Parts: sequence; structure tokens; C-alpha cells
Amino acid sequence: MSISALLDKYGSLYLQAMLTTWRLTVISFAGAMAIGLIITVIRVCPIKPLRYLGDFYVQIFRNIPGAAMLILLVYALPYLKLNFPYETCVLIATIMIPSAFCSEHLMSGMNTIAPGQIEAARALGFSFFQMIRRIVIPQALRSAVLPLTNLLVATMLTTSLASQVPMRPRDLTGIVSYINTRDVGGVLAFAISAALYCLTALLLGQLGGWIDRKVRILR
Amino acid sequence: MTESNVPVIELRHVDKHFGTLHVLKDISLSVNRGEVVVIIGPSGSGKSTLCRTVNRLETIDSGEILIEGVPIPPEGKKLAAMRRQIGMVFQSFNLFAHMTILENVVAAPRSILKQNKKDARAEALRLLERVGVADQKDKVPAQLSGGQQQRAAIARALAMHPKAMLFDEPTSALDPEMIGEVLSVMTELAGEGMTMLIVTHEMNFARRVADRVIFMDGGAIVEENTPEEFFAHPQSQRAKDFLSSISEH
Repeated sequence: MSISALLDKYGSLYLQAMLTTWRLTVISFAGAMAIGLIITVIRVCPIKPLRYLGDFYVQIFRNIPGAAMLILLVYALPYLKLNFPYETCVLIATIMIPSAFCSEHLMSGMNTIAPGQIEAARALGFSFFQMIRRIVIPQALRSAVLPLTNLLVATMLTTSLASQVPMRPRDLTGIVSYINTRDVGGVLAFAISAALYCLTALLLGQLGGWIDRKVRILR
Repeated sequence: MTESNVPVIELRHVDKHFGTLHVLKDISLSVNRGEVVVIIGPSGSGKSTLCRTVNRLETIDSGEILIEGVPIPPEGKKLAAMRRQIGMVFQSFNLFAHMTILENVVAAPRSILKQNKKDARAEALRLLERVGVADQKDKVPAQLSGGQQQRAAIARALAMHPKAMLFDEPTSALDPEMIGEVLSVMTELAGEGMTMLIVTHEMNFARRVADRVIFMDGGAIVEENTPEEFFAHPQSQRAKDFLSSISEH
């Protein structure tokens, strides 16, 4: 099939698949940022056992392959009487794994804060949480925009895990196997999806660069 | 004893070690309301460490530190509440890099004292006016000179209405032409009756502004006197050596 024939027949499905990938990406990244932030606060809190727990979380989810985690969620959890919909299983994997990376980016963002600022905050009488909220997290986030943009792109690519479960509507990777089982799309069917991934990544990269220039901290 | 007789800051037999180094040796001192006490001494004499123990940025091994007669709590919310009452100015300014100058001054009153935005801003502008950097209020710290940053840092500390101010070598990181502008703000503060504990190498400032001079060496207080007496007639050999080494250049 030619590209035009493919797009004629499956164009609307591709569009739907791209929107699905975008939706999964937004939910995954928002979830990863939220959990990553919480884990990061836990990793610097004054209570030592909690700090270890935070480090442990990061070690686990940074090191587990996405496919392995998805298999566990889909096939192992039902033995624990936990039956999640396929999409939920995918989202758990695409939130938890990037959240570990998010926390690492925020930790390195925190390292850009001069220790004197922390002393100043303590001397002014900020409590731990006030200091985290007003001084530490804003600077960590603003210093980590570029690596977090990387993470956003990586998270989008990770949502292709959705193609490994019978989830509807299909994502950009899932649509390719659908087409190729019904038609002879061949490598072109892949190429269209790849182009849409690339386009999205390019836009995200631009957005990240723009935000970085906006919020970068003068030192 | 009535409240006015209680020293704002009091240290009793404070000892501290860094590993095997005995950095503070049996330090006892008090700063009364409205008093300006200047600590001088050679590098490594423990004067900065002493200053930092007062609001527990440094812990101590033994002894007692009291703020208005109340011992400093070891940690947590009570410690934070105690720190609110003591302003601190650092050698390296330590302004919050991601905030404008105005936001720096407003941050603590807003977050900690829960002042409303309008009042906090008005007060911050008044303080920035007073230290002479109101025209810089919308810039971030990196856009200011060292002297301007330090004056803004003084305004930030004052915004919490502290009972006393600690100055840890506030002019040591400044270019010579900017030292004067910071010292004049400090002189004004002293004139208005602020209780101040100042670690500095500015001998002329100490002579002019201090009510009392404390000379430290090797982690101990060697001499404590009025500036007139101390600079004219140092008692110990170490103070004599220190003063003569300074006046040589």
C-alpha cells in the first residue's frame, strides 16, 4: 500500500491513535511529576527511615523494565484479586517508572541551590515544609526543565507499552500492528507512526526549551 | 528580675568541637537589649562559629544558649519559632536566587507570619527604601552588586521584626567601595537601638559603633571591653599582637 492509500483508509484511526498517545503521555507525565515531587520531598525529609524508603522506591522503579512491570500488573495482580482495566495497568507503569527518573532530576536540581540559601531560610524561621515549598522545589523545578523535557519525551515513548495489551482505542504503536494484521502496510505503517512520534517530540522539545529560557535562574 | 534586665542573647559555658578541634572553649557572653557587641579576632578563632550557634545553625556540645532567658529548643517547630526572633545576615548574602528583591523580603512574613500580601509588600518597600535599594526591587539578586544584595539581605531579616540581629562577617565578601554602604546601614540600625551581635574585621566600625568589643583567639574569649579601652589599652599579648598586625597595613 502507498502512504496515500494508508492514510485514506486509516487516517482517522491514526488521528485517534495520536490523540490516545497524547492523552496517555499527559496523564503519565502529570502523575510522574506529582509522585516524583512527593518522593523527592520524602528523600530529603528529616526522618531517616523515610529517606531510605524514598531511595528504595527510586531504585526499584528506575531499574524495572517497562514490559516486565506491565506483565506483572496484567498477569500477576489478578492473583491478588486486583483486576485493573488494561489502560490503568499501562498508566501505572508509565507513571511509576518515569516518577523515579523525575525524582532524580529534581534531586540534581536541588543540588544547584547554594547551601547558604537553605541556611538563610532556616535562620528566618521557615519550617521544613515551608522551606521546601517556597525555596527548594521552585528552584529545583526551574533548574531541571531540560532534563524534565527529556523525561517527557521518554514518557511519551514509554506509552507505546499500551500496544502490548488489548487496549481501546489503540495508541500510535498499537495501531501499526492492527493495520499490519489486516492489510499489508509494511514498513510504511510504522513510518507514519514514527513521524507522528517525532513531530510530537519536536514540539515538546521546543516547548521545553522555551520554558527553560523563561524560568532559568540567574546566578 | 524584670524582663528588661534579661539579656536578649546569653551564652553560658558553651563548648564545641569539630572532630578533635576545640572550636569554642567555655564561651560565656551576653548581649543586652539595645546593645551592640562586636566580636573580633584572627581567622579560625571561632568567632563565626560562635555567631552561628546563637540561632543553632551550629549545634553545641555543652553549655546553654538563651534567648530572652529561654533556652534554644533543639529542633522542630519550636526552634523555627525561636529563629524567627533573631535576624541573621551572612557573609555571602544568601538571597533566594529565584525571587526578586521584593519577593525575598516578602517571603518570610508571608509564609511564616501569614501577613497579607498588601501589608507585607508595603512593609518590604519601606524596608528596602530604608536600606536604599527600593529602586532594585524587581530585579533578581544576581543583577545586583554585592553591597546592594547585602543591604537587601538586611531588609529581609528586618522584615521579621527580630529582637536581635546577628551579622556574620557581613562585609568580608564585598569590594572595598561597597563596604561603606553596608556599614552605614548597620550604623543606622545600631543608632535606632537594635540589639546586635556582629562578627567583623572592620576595626573602625567596631570602634565607632560597638558598646562592647569581644576579642577571641583559639576558640576562647580572651578579652572583653569597651572599644575605647580595648583599642587603646589591650590587656593580653595576643590582642596586642592582633591589633599591631592590623595597623601595619
